[in-house]
Amino acid sequence: MASTKPAALPAASPKPKKRFRLFSVSQGFDMPFLIILMIILVVGLISQFSAGYAYSYYWNDGDSFYFIKRQLVFALIGVVAMLVISTVDYHILHHFAIPLMLVSLALLAVVLFLPSSTGIHRWIRLPGLQFQPSEIAKFALILLFAHLISLNHKKMKTFLGGYLPFMLILGLTCGLVFIEPHLSGTILLLGIGIVMMYVGGTRLAYLLGTLGLGGAAVFYMIFVKGYEQDRISVWLDPMKAYAENPNQAWQTVQSLYAIGSGGVMGQGLGNSRQKHLFLPEPQNDFIFSVICEEMGFVGAVLVIILFALLLWRGITIGMKSPDKFGSMLAVGLTAQIGLQAFMNMAVVTNTIPNTGISLPFFSYGGTSLVMLLAQMGVVLSVSRNASLGREREKRDL
Amino acid sequence: MAKPKKAPVNNTPTTKAPTRQMWRRSIVVLVILIGFCFSAVIGKLSILQIAQADEWRERAVAQQMSDSIISPKRGTIYDTNMTVLAQSATVWTVIMSPKDIKDEDTRVKIADELSAMLEVDRDTLYKKTLKTNSQYEVVKSKIEHPLAETLSTWIQDNDLTGVFRIIEDYKRYYPLNSLASEVLGFTGTDNNGLYGLEAYYEETLAGKPGRIVTAKNGWGDELSAKLKFEKTVDAEDGNSLVLTIDSTVQYYAEKYLEIAVKENGCTNRGACIIMDVNTGAIVAMATKGDFDPNDPMTVTDPDAAAAIALLSGDERSEALIKAREAQWVNKPISDYYEPGSVFKVFTSAMALEEGVVNEETPFYCNGYINVAGERIGCHKRTGHGSENFAQAVSNSCNPAFAEIGQKLGRTLFWKYYQGFGFTERTGIDMLSESRVTSALYHNEEQLDIVQLSVSAFGQTFKVTPIQMITAMAAVANGGKLMQPYVVQQVLDADGNVVENTEPVVKRQVISEETSDRLCKILDVSVNSGSKNAYVAGYRVAGKTGTSDKTDQNLQTGSNDVVASFAGFAPSDNPQYAILVLLDEPQVSVRFGGTISAPVAQKIMAEALPYLGVEPVYTDEEIASMERTTPDVMDKEVSTAQTMLTNSELRYKVVGSGSTVIKQVPGKGETIPKNGIVVLYTEEGELSRTTTVPNFSGMTLAQANVAAANANINIQMSGLGLESGEAKASTQSIAEGTSVPLGTVVEVDFLYQDAIE
Repeated sequence: MASTKPAALPAASPKPKKRFRLFSVSQGFDMPFLIILMIILVVGLISQFSAGYAYSYYWNDGDSFYFIKRQLVFALIGVVAMLVISTVDYHILHHFAIPLMLVSLALLAVVLFLPSSTGIHRWIRLPGLQFQPSEIAKFALILLFAHLISLNHKKMKTFLGGYLPFMLILGLTCGLVFIEPHLSGTILLLGIGIVMMYVGGTRLAYLLGTLGLGGAAVFYMIFVKGYEQDRISVWLDPMKAYAENPNQAWQTVQSLYAIGSGGVMGQGLGNSRQKHLFLPEPQNDFIFSVICEEMGFVGAVLVIILFALLLWRGITIGMKSPDKFGSMLAVGLTAQIGLQAFMNMAVVTNTIPNTGISLPFFSYGGTSLVMLLAQMGVVLSVSRNASLGREREKRDL
Repeated sequence: MAKPKKAPVNNTPTTKAPTRQMWRRSIVVLVILIGFCFSAVIGKLSILQIAQADEWRERAVAQQMSDSIISPKRGTIYDTNMTVLAQSATVWTVIMSPKDIKDEDTRVKIADELSAMLEVDRDTLYKKTLKTNSQYEVVKSKIEHPLAETLSTWIQDNDLTGVFRIIEDYKRYYPLNSLASEVLGFTGTDNNGLYGLEAYYEETLAGKPGRIVTAKNGWGDELSAKLKFEKTVDAEDGNSLVLTIDSTVQYYAEKYLEIAVKENGCTNRGACIIMDVNTGAIVAMATKGDFDPNDPMTVTDPDAAAAIALLSGDERSEALIKAREAQWVNKPISDYYEPGSVFKVFTSAMALEEGVVNEETPFYCNGYINVAGERIGCHKRTGHGSENFAQAVSNSCNPAFAEIGQKLGRTLFWKYYQGFGFTERTGIDMLSESRVTSALYHNEEQLDIVQLSVSAFGQTFKVTPIQMITAMAAVANGGKLMQPYVVQQVLDADGNVVENTEPVVKRQVISEETSDRLCKILDVSVNSGSKNAYVAGYRVAGKTGTSDKTDQNLQTGSNDVVASFAGFAPSDNPQYAILVLLDEPQVSVRFGGTISAPVAQKIMAEALPYLGVEPVYTDEEIASMERTTPDVMDKEVSTAQTMLTNSELRYKVVGSGSTVIKQVPGKGETIPKNGIVVLYTEEGELSRTTTVPNFSGMTLAQANVAAANANINIQMSGLGLESGEAKASTQSIAEGTSVPLGTVVEVDFLYQDAIE
């Protein structure tokens, strides 16, 4: 669609010149968001260095710097990508909403048929690049929902216009991710979808009804059919489960050891003992446990506050966007970060049952980091148009 | 897919700004995410990191730290002359790190060569080399010095210093093997005392272990040099003990006790204690059968071992445990027995002290006494007839002592019974001294006239051997009840004296005067029942006893006795007390006087001179003293004759030569005065032999004549030479053996008609 009229792209915008100033509080993108994000990224890299130091030593022939070197390179690439994307008018994304979703669905289907030694089909591995199609699906979903909601806003209150199509897309995407199997990815996609539908204007009754039905189904599966009993028993009493079956409760218990032994002030940066082969993947899913152990309650809460600030600023950008497309993009992308961060921290603290999920900007993974930062570039792009720091304009329907 | 109305036009904002509802709802989302989700995590963190931090940290530390112990060197146990009885020597434990083995060839080489060197199973070792995640596999523990040296060289030669570590450890050695094993006890594989002094003085001997706390990773390995964390606390070596026990005296005691236990077929072992009467220090404490503390698990009693070998499964392991525990029990302080007639010593002490009798008090024994309608018999059925008190002691007359008991009355008897310490532990510094329960004796209320009469000659109650010898020492030392002890000093690792045991007088039981009078009465030379304990040159005092194991016999229908002797020497200046106890001898004549007193005699005959107790010989003794043969080789026959005559020895010249070419016995041998030295003067006569006669049953005089007739010498043992009543029992060379003229035959003499 977009390719048919490429010449029309750099068309009328109200203040095109000002929009391309990189650093400007009043005219450029939103500096508070960038600063919060950069702090998160730096803290994440420091944590990565500490958490991955020992693990890298054991698994990379004594090279403690293997992980951090790669992560730094990808962070750099990511930041550059973010800044470049932030200069692009996000409206161009309207053209990609549907194709990207189609590509994403295709990849989700393809990945199911790729060989896997573990029976888990999450990764597509190409020479020099490996990624999870579910990561792309998240962005595709956010983009498509933002696209649909913004263009279709008047019908959002109806069942056929504001509920059914969204649920179909969501159901299809989640279904494909679920059978990979990738439970945490499924939940995250569901969460993002529901949040966007809710903010986009879907009737609360439909959403509550859906959540009620879904909740009842989950309840039935767990407590009547007895699925996921192991996960649940570890969640309810990790030490008992650990005594009965150490392997099954290992991750959770080791994480709790790390967090608990951090105490209020922590063991000091670099002094985690649990990262020495006790915690599984301390540089990845359990990096927050290492932060808790080294930096204590104080450090952990500071990290949470950083994420909360990012959420606040991201959603503010969305709400001050002059159009609904920008709003929904910013809300969706920010909610993605918030939900994922929450799920990760809740899992490692055993607040919710264990499921593997990484901590945005902290966990090791180059492709994922670049993609996250690129998406933040979209938020920054939105912020360029937003009426931030200026007198709030009256808005109507 | 539901279609939006149109594709966006010209990339300009086609939609209006977000609605108020979107505002509201996004704020709701923000509030839920931060106010609920993030807050829940913070709530959980505060529980984990603030409320429960200590318990999680504790659990975490337990898995993160490996705490290895540095063994302290355990203190040495010395006898009173600083002879080592128990010592810890350095040994080595070989640790392998399979993780650092480079290739399969090396693994095979290690398995082949090391298994042969260290005598471990090759396949087990090979499997250990395959544990490539591990850095800590014990190959063999407690290897000794030369082997450790060989191993160390092998490791260096094969360039495997990165793979093997040799760690210092200690192993307990008992250089004198079973000597005093029951006293010493033994240690377990981790060097902690399990029995005996090793256990009782565990804290003193053990020292304080040091620690190496090392951080380890999730695989259980030490952290690499880069990430290492290590803290060392040095070990403090243990203190040493210097015992009051003299290993030489202990050796004498064990030697003769062992022979007696074997010869008399004692089924419940034998015990012997020698005590310094003036301090309560234990000079020897022996038990047979005992065990070797270097190998305490081996059952030493061959019969028990054979019986166990026939069993299997649980029965076998139970029997094994039982047999081991039985051989580990320190009989002198742990077993009870009825003292029997030995107790008459204490009844005598009470009666003399209270003036109930004196030496001349007359008694009459017609073989029994009626007490409250019960007939109590004397061991001499025909009765001892008229006798005074001293004779009644000598005769060990039961009716006389029943009468003395009645004269004393229950109050006084009970007072002294307690006074001599028979109702309490002696408090000796040893493990498992038996508790003294009221079931073992009769208290004042329970002592009716029958119990009192019987108790007066030592029946119907039980004591431990250590109680007995402690009480006997009190009789000997002027009436002081001492607290016995075995540890004289505690030395620190540098040999400084940390503690020194001073004798403890618990109380004065009887007066010195009573003690003196009793010592004279008990002198074995005037005490017919104890004559077998006579030692030439020493005034030995003592009393024998033979008591039925009444309660046990009633249960099992057997007819077992305990035969014992308790006494002290010299009677005019008592220095050492001795107790010999043979439990359940299985020979026909099994009186304390016939089997236990001779053991005490033999031990004292060697121990008293060794201990520096000066002998004082009577004329008779001097007359029968032994002579040492002079060297008369190559001397003129006449010169040799003169020399032998001067030495109060006789001679017999064989051949017609003029010089002595051989003398039998050779120079420096001891033979009795007037013994024969055969002087050979011709080569041709050297083969002349004589036949050893049978001395059995002969008196000393008869034996001397027989020996002279056969041209051999006899050397007597067993008792003094002044008595005409002793008879020969055993001889060192069997009857009928052809021996050269002049050969010395040892002959053992015993009183066969001794009472009790």
